[in-house]
Amino acid sequence: MKYAALLTSNADDIVAWEKMSPEETAAIRAEEVPKWEALFGELRQTGVLGAGFELDSPKTAKTVRVRGGETLVTDGPFAETKEQIGGLLELDAEDLDAAIAIAARIPVALRASVELRPVIEH
Amino acid sequence: MQYLALIYGEEGRWAALSQEEREREMGEYMALSQADVTKGGNELDSTATATTVRVRGDETLVTDGPFAELKESIGGYYIFECDSIEDACTWAAKIPAARHGAIEVRPVHVEEGEQS
Repeated sequence: MKYAALLTSNADDIVAWEKMSPEETAAIRAEEVPKWEALFGELRQTGVLGAGFELDSPKTAKTVRVRGGETLVTDGPFAETKEQIGGLLELDAEDLDAAIAIAARIPVALRASVELRPVIEH
Repeated sequence: MQYLALIYGEEGRWAALSQEEREREMGEYMALSQADVTKGGNELDSTATATTVRVRGDETLVTDGPFAELKESIGGYYIFECDSIEDACTWAAKIPAARHGAIEVRPVHVEEGEQS
């Protein structure tokens, strides 16, 4: 089964992150990156991990609507939710339980959440 | 630069469309899927099939449904390769759901020193 995993961060954590100096964010990244790489390395070997995308902060988002033929572009994400999407991973897991087991190992699951959605295969 | 276009729409809407309207929209989605700027994307199953996973302490908490309940929910996404976010927004405006829902365009993060 193919799944899209939507990786979220807490809105409060994003605000705190944006207030940090480049040195502080680099230090946190240096600590986190090996955890991600260990998980990704393992998942790639087993063919479970497809494409993955880390996103820039939600404040860099633009939201596009077309109404009456006119394109309206607003700054910011579609919704100001408590948890905000920060990345997306494509997974090819045996079943939902296997996908849940992977999601639980993604570092953001400890702070915010991972939403798993089955992909419709055309 | 790559951009993720998250497609938000009302889930009940598709069922209310006529066969002709569905075929027209499906044609638009297929054309976008095949466009040169499109580097990926997927249609997602309904939010009724969503599972949200959180880990607190040593416990894995699994809940049915999306991480946030919204009137318009994510139904799919595209990855666009564009020179600027403005170009990505121009492509996002071609997605049928832009006419009734909304498309959130997000730059894909590139670490400094990495090639895009």
